[in-house]
Amino acid sequence: MNKKTIVIFLSFFSPLLYAQNYPSGNSLLDKIDANMSSETTIMTASMQVNSARATRTMTLKTWMESDKKAFTEYLSPAREKGTKMLKLDNQLWLYSPSIDRTIQISGHMLRQSVMGSDLSYEDMMNDTPMQEQYNAVVTGEETINGRKCWVVEMTARISDINYYSRKLWVDQERFVPLRMQLFAKSGKQLKEIALSDIRQIQGRWYPMKTVYKDVLKDGKGTEFTVSEISFNPSIPGNVFNKSNLK
Amino acid sequence: MKILKLVFRNLIGNGLKTWLNVFVLSIAFVLIIFMQAILQGWDRQAMSDTVKWEIADGQYWNANYDPFDPFTLDSAVSIIPKELVNQYETGQVEPVLIVAGTIYPSGRSMPVLMKGIRAGQQLLELPTSLLMNPTDSADIPAIIGSNMAHQSGLTENDIVTLRWRDANGTFEARDIRIAGVFRTFVPTVDAGQIWLPLDILQKITLNSGKASLLVKSKEVSVVPVDGWNFKDVDELTRPLRETLRSKTVGQSVFYVIFLLLALLAVFDTQTLSIFYRQREIGTFVALGMTKKEVMGLFTLEGTMNAILAIALGAVYGVPMFLYFAVNGIPMPSGTSDFGVAIADKIYPAFPPKLIIGTILFIILITAWVSYLPARKIVKMNPTDAIKGKIQ
Amino acid sequence: MIKFLLKGLMRDRSRSLLPVVVVTLGVMITVFMHAYLSGVLGESLEKTANFTEGHVRVETRAYADNFSQLPNDLALVGVDTLEKRLERLYPEYNWVQRIDFGGLLDVPDSSGNTKMQGTVMGKGIDLLQSDGEATRMELKKLLVKGRFPSKAGEILVSDELFEKLYLSLGDEVTLISSTMFGEMAMYNFTVAGSLHFGVNVLDRGMMIADIRDVKAALNMEDAAGTLLGFSKNKLYNDRQAVATKTDFNKRYESDEDKFAPVMSSLSDNGLMGFSYAFIKNMAGFIILVFIFAMSIVLWNAGLISGLRRYGEFGLRMAIGENKSEIYRSLIGEAALVGIIGTIFGSMLGLSASWLMQEYGINVGSMMNNSSLMISDTLRTQITPFTWFIGFIPGIFSTVIGAMLSGVGIYKRQTANLFKELQN
Repeated sequence: MNKKTIVIFLSFFSPLLYAQNYPSGNSLLDKIDANMSSETTIMTASMQVNSARATRTMTLKTWMESDKKAFTEYLSPAREKGTKMLKLDNQLWLYSPSIDRTIQISGHMLRQSVMGSDLSYEDMMNDTPMQEQYNAVVTGEETINGRKCWVVEMTARISDINYYSRKLWVDQERFVPLRMQLFAKSGKQLKEIALSDIRQIQGRWYPMKTVYKDVLKDGKGTEFTVSEISFNPSIPGNVFNKSNLK
Repeated sequence: MKILKLVFRNLIGNGLKTWLNVFVLSIAFVLIIFMQAILQGWDRQAMSDTVKWEIADGQYWNANYDPFDPFTLDSAVSIIPKELVNQYETGQVEPVLIVAGTIYPSGRSMPVLMKGIRAGQQLLELPTSLLMNPTDSADIPAIIGSNMAHQSGLTENDIVTLRWRDANGTFEARDIRIAGVFRTFVPTVDAGQIWLPLDILQKITLNSGKASLLVKSKEVSVVPVDGWNFKDVDELTRPLRETLRSKTVGQSVFYVIFLLLALLAVFDTQTLSIFYRQREIGTFVALGMTKKEVMGLFTLEGTMNAILAIALGAVYGVPMFLYFAVNGIPMPSGTSDFGVAIADKIYPAFPPKLIIGTILFIILITAWVSYLPARKIVKMNPTDAIKGKIQ
Repeated sequence: MIKFLLKGLMRDRSRSLLPVVVVTLGVMITVFMHAYLSGVLGESLEKTANFTEGHVRVETRAYADNFSQLPNDLALVGVDTLEKRLERLYPEYNWVQRIDFGGLLDVPDSSGNTKMQGTVMGKGIDLLQSDGEATRMELKKLLVKGRFPSKAGEILVSDELFEKLYLSLGDEVTLISSTMFGEMAMYNFTVAGSLHFGVNVLDRGMMIADIRDVKAALNMEDAAGTLLGFSKNKLYNDRQAVATKTDFNKRYESDEDKFAPVMSSLSDNGLMGFSYAFIKNMAGFIILVFIFAMSIVLWNAGLISGLRRYGEFGLRMAIGENKSEIYRSLIGEAALVGIIGTIFGSMLGLSASWLMQEYGINVGSMMNNSSLMISDTLRTQITPFTWFIGFIPGIFSTVIGAMLSGVGIYKRQTANLFKELQN
């Protein structure tokens, strides 16, 4: 009996557990995806990295297409300016003007953090739509920052995945997650993500500020603030070309 | 026999000076043996510790296993080969599974090697019986070496989060409980490593039945296995032996100088007594001894210094040797950056070869030093000698 | 009195020459041996000091606690100011910055794609501004291939790594590591040469780069992992180091910051402290053995000269000196002989030690490969103590020798002594 059948089994035979009329987990994920992901996206953002000694802020611009392709260019500070990153499916390249080389980030290098943040490169790699990866079940209601949320528990349905399970607090009206927890298979929490400053852009609700935190480590985490975002713009195909890195 | 008695009486008759000579020589003698014994003891200890804690009678390495490249560990695991399954079941080979992980002591991440070994293994000294999980605990039991304990700040019964990726790349994290901290002087089973029960490590990393290397017991012989390379004790301990051997080079020069100093006194005394005792020499010749025999007599007398020195050295040396051989010589804790481990106690080793060799060496070299001035006797004119005329 | 004794010694060569020669030889051996021991035994101590520990080292408290992880995120910042301050406070040391780091060396093919990768341990030291660090770490003699870096961006790698990555001289390689702020660091270097350290851990994968390059690579402008202090007279002096350490740490006592600097001395590393004590005690041992051996030799020498001089003593007694006066003058003479012999012996011993300190004796053929830990050149080391060590045994042994041989005077009758004059 796999996890999925357990969930079905439980939802069928445990009316007490799901006494209220909760929406189905997967329909909720659909709504989140409809809200937050688009065929193409272009955004400008700043990333504030809090390390043991200093707080540094960098700005970047990202072009994305269908979760599979992403191209990022760092705009500031001077040290990072011109660093470019290209993701195609499950491959990742990094170009750094200081070395004038393109290096493929693979294997253990994926475990390195992105620009010293609490995100690793592999965190960025896993962008497949959540419905394909997880089974979601709504398990309750909670209020976060004054907004009523559904609590969604997600369990991996495939084995080839970074985080075995997730827990989401999804705004009941806007269908934006306000809080996310990522867990190891054992159930131990690894990451905590807080999303805030929800704004309406092109008719969608979008969290402009995200704070990532590796809960196993001390520290304040990494703040990701979107300053500009546009959904479904047209992106020329050559943006996602390796030759665009140099 | 008579001659020996005579020689001996002559020497003792010389009183304080003989005893001083003998004393100096005995110090050199005891010191040489002692320092050699420390080195040999250290050498033996380091070798036997490595054998006991890490390699037993050699290891089969997965063909891809490279202990110096932690990034290739993922690809260096495979199923325990069928040729060795029997030996595995009887405990004559012990598999070790090595997986890279991260621990988070006091809020910092620290890369570690997770090493899985059977809790019931008898082959290595590692206190793996501590890995038998008490039923009431959900935490995975782990043992670490004292060096690792120092590096990570962990102590017995501490709970720390361990994170790794299973064979599919999924993050996994569990709390482990430090069931014990062992003291070893083999850094390669200590620094940056966490020992876990093999079955648990295999399960949680999705490496069922797999291992990175297999430690072989003495009781079984080597079988060629496809995909696995056997490394014998000799090969595995080569770097260690090279390090230890290089230590002796500087020391041997030191002995030579030391001995030189002690022998200078013997040489000088010998020269003086030949000069002083010309009448005696003349008399011996007059009594019918050949000059060669007299020379032999004096050489013997000088050599007797060494024999007395060995006897005297034994008087205070043997109890001292025994004391340190039993109790060891305490060494400070600390590491040298060059990766040489030092035990907290060194037990000097006194193999008979060392003692007999040193005794022979000292007797021979003293005989030589005594012979050099005695050669003069052959050139003496016996009549002048008997008159006591200085020649 | 001294003048009188000196005159006697000068004029009667047989009275002075042999003892002076004996003392000179003995003292020479002692001085040389002390220098040798300090050199050979002290070498591993100094090697460790020079390569990693320094005579004193300054790092942040947090760095010290996590040193085994090379935690550059906990490095000292504002390190140039701190270095200046240390130079002002403790001018008896040369201060240098070092950065230790780990990472990957990525070797590209002709089109810039990764061809080979190897893990490295790196050291950032001053390679370009002065020779000091290269000399201190004796790097030049470890060079196997190529040459020493002469401009920014050039590195040395261990020869084993050089071979493992199929490098050639002049190849451009990329270091992938993490910066002080934890981000991925990438930096290009040119391989200028390869080194053989003769130490397993280092030969496996060491790279040495100029510290300015390392700072740029790891985003450590004005930061360094450690600041090492090396005593200007090149030798570790524990008392001095501990005093410096205590003084420095007192200044930061009230500072609660885990990034406050903290100083430690070489002897804080237990093993190094032990080596240091061992070398010190060994010197005592040599002196002891020397005193015994030399006393015997000089006793013998005294006996021979006494034998010849019994007549003289008889005469002096006849004039009115008593036995104890003669005995005392004998001892005085011996002390003078001791001093003169010690001066000569020390001079000779020091010169020999100096020669061996400067040029060394190459025993490379005996050891078949050079090594950082055990140098293929045996060198002596003249310590301040080497200058004086000869005096203790030199004078002691002559005096003891004279006292022992002079006892003969008391044993003989005055008349007998006088009679010897007639022979």
